[in-house]
Amino acid sequence: MRKNISLILGIILVLIIIAVWVLSFVYMPYPPNEMNIPDKFLKPSIDSEHILGTDNFGRDILSRIMYGSRNVLLVGIGSVTLGTLLGIFLGAVAAMKRFANTIIMRIMDGLMAFPGILLAMMLVAVLERGIQGSIIAISIFMVPVFSRLVYSMILDTEALLYIKAAKSYGSSRKQIFLRHYIPAMLPRLITQFTSAIGSAVMIETSLSFLGLGIQPPYASWGLMLSESRQFFLSYPYLAVAPGIAIIITVLGFNLIGDGLNDILINRGNSNE
Amino acid sequence: MLSYILDRLKSSIVVLFVVSVITFFVLMIIPGNPAQLILGTDATPEAIQELHAAMGLDRPLYQQYLSWLLDLFTLDMGSSYVYGESVTALIARSIPVTFSISIFAMVMAVFIAFLFGIISAIKKNSIADYFSRSIMQLGAAIPSFWIGMVFIVYFGIKLRILPVSGFVPIEQSFAGFIKSILLPSVVLAIGEVGTLLRIIRSSMLDSLKQDYMDMARVKGLSTGKTYIKYALRGALTAPLTIIGMQFAKLAGGTVVVETIFALPGLGRMVLTAVEHRDIVLLQGLVMFITSTVIIITLIVDISVMYLNPRIKSFQQGEL
Repeated sequence: MRKNISLILGIILVLIIIAVWVLSFVYMPYPPNEMNIPDKFLKPSIDSEHILGTDNFGRDILSRIMYGSRNVLLVGIGSVTLGTLLGIFLGAVAAMKRFANTIIMRIMDGLMAFPGILLAMMLVAVLERGIQGSIIAISIFMVPVFSRLVYSMILDTEALLYIKAAKSYGSSRKQIFLRHYIPAMLPRLITQFTSAIGSAVMIETSLSFLGLGIQPPYASWGLMLSESRQFFLSYPYLAVAPGIAIIITVLGFNLIGDGLNDILINRGNSNE
Repeated sequence: MLSYILDRLKSSIVVLFVVSVITFFVLMIIPGNPAQLILGTDATPEAIQELHAAMGLDRPLYQQYLSWLLDLFTLDMGSSYVYGESVTALIARSIPVTFSISIFAMVMAVFIAFLFGIISAIKKNSIADYFSRSIMQLGAAIPSFWIGMVFIVYFGIKLRILPVSGFVPIEQSFAGFIKSILLPSVVLAIGEVGTLLRIIRSSMLDSLKQDYMDMARVKGLSTGKTYIKYALRGALTAPLTIIGMQFAKLAGGTVVVETIFALPGLGRMVLTAVEHRDIVLLQGLVMFITSTVIIITLIVDISVMYLNPRIKSFQQGEL
């Protein structure tokens, strides 16, 4: 039964982040951007009014972490959703329309060739920096993974009997796609979707850390870390909370992805 | 055999071509006039117009693309307006930094991943296995900039044993060189270990299940020998392919690491180019990094084929 440990642990971690995110709409101890210079650099303490302390402008770190969860989840989930939809569309068109096949798949190969964050950085140079720019940049980064997945899955399923049967009954392409391909692809898509959120969050925080993502004064965990760099030597606690928040989020989504992979795809004969 | 190499070569060239198209056209739709950027806001419209024409920006886009592509073949990538130098010279100067930390990081990551991956597969579900699987998950979830900051404070400021920024060329001082790249490489390696470990562990587990393992045991080989001579050899293909891909990922990861440790490498320059919207520099850097990655992947694929004849026969349709 150990394979479910990753899934359970992952769900717990993600639920923590989602709870923080939901709570941020209902209650935050302080307005996240409110400066209060006399109270700057207060150390974290459970008795104080600022449980996680304050930063160099005297802003409440807990409130900023809570507010930051909105941006991180919005960019993470938003970009992967957009990337998945585009990827499914392009992969399906490539697999089902012969003329488009070569063009689409070669473009995907090309996009795949850009190493890691480089593609996102290049796109950010063109787009406006901020939430929208990050979402678009990261979603384009995600497209090739999903389109390749869908493309190869459709080619694999195409030869199966029930698809042939559906075709011989005269089902339209759209019908076959929606009623047969999508259900057949769902396990892999869901697994890939969850793991992709983990990487999207990592890219978002990296972009924000590099100053190319969410812009000050708004809070984002990556940005909080980069702002803490100057004061980190004297006040190391500044980097603790955002770092842990990032780790919980990425680890949570990755673990769910792994757990789902075992349950939905490997079905027990995995190596776990 | 030869036909496989030619096939791979052909597809690499196609990918390179697609990459060049994407790089050029994506960066050409950038808002703002490059001539205006270079001359600043108080330049006269005539001066901007003149520079615009001198840079060839008034030609149709496809003509600009073709001349850019032709220049690439002669290693002429234009000149950067931020640095006021030729892009080729800038790249040549940054290569040693980025390559040193990438290679060092990769060697470390491969070593640790093989060590823990093999132990973890042999002693499945032992404490060692759980330990290496925790490394696997954590390594992928901890942001490199965070570890970098922690390392700087701990090793650089508290213990004062390692420098926290800057690069010492190898010809200047060998000890200084190693010290200057040690922390950045470790940070990079931590990010890479997880993926590699996962692949090594699972292909080793697959390999342990094969019939040839029973055969080797029946032959009376010692357990250690069966692991090394049979299991590991059978398990090498997937990790080697992934090492190639990881190398590619590394090229992206260096941006963050070089920024934290203030290393004058390629990644750092990418960030500068993005910040200042230095299109010419960015185009050159992206093309250079991506081509390097494509060439490394090609070399890895061909070497893997030498190691694993099954791929070869599969390609020739014998299976």
